[in-house]
Amino acid sequence: MSYYLRRITFYVVTMWAAVSLNFLLPRLLPGDPAKIMIGKLRRANGGRPISQEMIDAITSILGSDEGSMWDQYVAYWGRLLQGDLGVSSTRYPAPVADLIAQALPWTIVLVGVATVISFILGIVVGAWVGWRRGTWLDHLVPITTVFQSIPYFWLALVLVAVFSVNLGLFPIIGGYDFFAFPAGPEWSWAFVGSAVTHAILPATTIVLSSVGGWLLGMRNMMVSTLSEDYVVTAEAKGLTPRRIRTKYAARNAAIPSLAGFGIALGFVVAGSIVMEQVFSYPGIGKLMIQSVQGLDYALMQGVFLVITVTVLAANLFMDVIYGFIDPRARHNG
Amino acid sequence: MIRRPKRSIAAAVAAGAAALALALTGCSPSAEAGADSRPLRVWAGSATPINNNFNPFNVDTAVHATYGAIYEPLFFFNQLSSEPPVGLLGDSYEYSEDGTVITVTLKPDLEWNDGEPLTAADVAFTFGYGPNKSEDLVSAEAVDDTTVVLSFSKPQFTGASLILGSTWIVPEHVWGEIDDYMAETNPEPVGSGPYMLKSFTEAAYTVTANEHFRDGEPAVKEVQYIGIDSNQSSQDLLATGQLDWVGQFVANPDSVTGNGVISTLNLQQDPTVIVTCSSAELGCTGPQTDPAVRQAINVAIDRSTIREKAFAGLAGEATPTFMLLPRDEGWLSDPTLEVSPQESNAAEASGILEAAGYAKGVDGFYAKDGQTIELDLFSPDGWTDYNDAAKLISEQAAEAGIKITARTVSDADYWTPISAGDFQLAMYGLAASLVADPYSTYSEYFAGTSTAKVGEDPVSGQNYVRYSNPTVDAAIVAAGATQDEATKRDAYATIHAEIVRDLPYIPVVLNASQSFFNTTDFTGWPSEDDLYAAPLPYTSVANAVVLAHLSPAK
Repeated sequence: MSYYLRRITFYVVTMWAAVSLNFLLPRLLPGDPAKIMIGKLRRANGGRPISQEMIDAITSILGSDEGSMWDQYVAYWGRLLQGDLGVSSTRYPAPVADLIAQALPWTIVLVGVATVISFILGIVVGAWVGWRRGTWLDHLVPITTVFQSIPYFWLALVLVAVFSVNLGLFPIIGGYDFFAFPAGPEWSWAFVGSAVTHAILPATTIVLSSVGGWLLGMRNMMVSTLSEDYVVTAEAKGLTPRRIRTKYAARNAAIPSLAGFGIALGFVVAGSIVMEQVFSYPGIGKLMIQSVQGLDYALMQGVFLVITVTVLAANLFMDVIYGFIDPRARHNG
Repeated sequence: MIRRPKRSIAAAVAAGAAALALALTGCSPSAEAGADSRPLRVWAGSATPINNNFNPFNVDTAVHATYGAIYEPLFFFNQLSSEPPVGLLGDSYEYSEDGTVITVTLKPDLEWNDGEPLTAADVAFTFGYGPNKSEDLVSAEAVDDTTVVLSFSKPQFTGASLILGSTWIVPEHVWGEIDDYMAETNPEPVGSGPYMLKSFTEAAYTVTANEHFRDGEPAVKEVQYIGIDSNQSSQDLLATGQLDWVGQFVANPDSVTGNGVISTLNLQQDPTVIVTCSSAELGCTGPQTDPAVRQAINVAIDRSTIREKAFAGLAGEATPTFMLLPRDEGWLSDPTLEVSPQESNAAEASGILEAAGYAKGVDGFYAKDGQTIELDLFSPDGWTDYNDAAKLISEQAAEAGIKITARTVSDADYWTPISAGDFQLAMYGLAASLVADPYSTYSEYFAGTSTAKVGEDPVSGQNYVRYSNPTVDAAIVAAGATQDEATKRDAYATIHAEIVRDLPYIPVVLNASQSFFNTTDFTGWPSEDDLYAAPLPYTSVANAVVLAHLSPAK
């Protein structure tokens, strides 16, 4: 049991460090949010003077930097433990928790499903390519790798230009058709259909650009596993190729990929900044960009916190799984 | 609504996740229904998720429809013309002789969109409420239902466009109960404009015709404002007929107008400049504090190349007087000041520097007292036209022996040094005055009262160049205190002579603002011949004036 206890202690300490760092990082960034907001306001106002009252109000909105660093740190933890992530300044006066709650489902479903599809596709095809090494199937490796190395936003733009603009098959932007649903999301098959249609191109972009990694890794592991003694033994025993491929080779070859998959799942919540930007997709990645650009401390901390927690949770989960499937981890960890 | 007969099929297929079949049925171009039965779709620049905020006091974060479509000022001042303002809620206004009292007459029988009467009491309330309370305001009183008297402690001749043209009139029966006006999101806005809120989502919101609007319901019954995160998407949506109105930069407008549905108009208004931290007395440091260096840069840069290369040939020629020409032509003191030099003149730049005691070093750059002129020029990362212009300026200045290093910075690194005066040169955009009188430009950007020492933010105004010139200050005061045109013209002539010589802002180009609109399904858009309002969906008031002018094409 001490293996799990050690792991959990490790995660608690990591969590504390991550949250503290999260507190510190925005404060180390240059620039004063109040000045940025006033500057933008003046431009937005077309030269109209800003009353002192307005300036005071802005300073009080963004004036979270009162008291010593330590007082701020204590107050930060206090608010955090109550689930209060503060109020966004770029989206004033929307609460950060609400913004994240609205964006999270879109990101988790789209990026999550795309990541799972990409993983499964990579593993299955990778195993097959590894099994049939030396045949024409090997060409799949460089092809998928090319997709992976193409700049992500460019791939997305090409897909939009071809499939949406020229062929008119897919929508250009959004998480659903807001022309047909001006009142927003609703629980109907029509809406789900719309959301699925809108997810196809963004998901394709993610899958195309990430499947190569899984495929290559799986193929190589498969090749090295196939030269292992137990595979040779299995062949000598006269087992069916299918049984050797799935039960003996692929199963063991997939273990390293599984660890990577755990980490990739953790990062699902970080969203996919570029994809969300290109498709105006209502996810988390965009909140992150906006918060950093607008020096929106509260939003920045909220988003980073959610990401940190999920990455750690995913790692913890993988540790637990590993403890079960690989006894060596339990003893050496 | 758009009829979509295939929707149920699409849904069933989608539920089965049969992607290909779905792709073929799920999304079809939106041109199925006639224009009169569908909303006008606008992108005014909002990114997703759109803020659910209709509070007119949250200038930076409230949604676009708040300004003009829902809340209105008393009068509309058309930036593009020198005609008198158009009455919205107001019918007429009159200044007292000394300019301290403005008497406004409202149109009769006005109503809010909830059916309550809109009276002078609401207007008086608005001027005394929240950030509207100006320091100079003595009182705002409703004399009767349609007359409001605003009294000030100082003459307000030059403030008409701000007081009457951009103070959003709010209903007393709603806002009278709101104390914390900055924290209010006002999700059910009660305004007087042509439209009222129908539905709101993070991705788009819809406004619908206001049946209580004084001129009757507008002809276009619904307008949908959409959130889009990249210019490319909006361009694609325009090209495929899914958007009707956009104001954005498109380097190659033919790609959008090629379908014959969308028309475009390119207006050149706001000058792009190099701001320089100009005053050594106020704490600026660096070679740019020497007027000779600024003058040399002014003649060394090749504005025609910058216009062509950085601004895709869409920008206009800037004037060193920072007036909007031809609108403000009547105030031009000297015809040679109409445009800044458009070609570079390295010889003239050398002459200016040598006369000021600079000499060219072995590295090819000018220096004085052993100090080479080395300047830092920054622009916000991603503002590609500014970034490219800065690069060109750096190259052109180098040819004239002035070393300027161009770099890009994040938004955060951009605003903070500018407002604190901790910079040498930066690319910047000035706003042209809203009315055919450059007064606000001069008082806002050039007056000593609009600046502050380096290290401090200007309390009022945007004189970030730290320009402080008693001659200019006196002329601005003189221009603000009179309605006499000759006196004003003299004052502006003085200002022109000073700022053209001192160049605290080095004009570069006149920024383009392109608008794209669907002239096939909707008629009544402003045109080159009839610029009754700027056809830019993000411009306060003008956007609503345009919307109220439109009607669906039959």
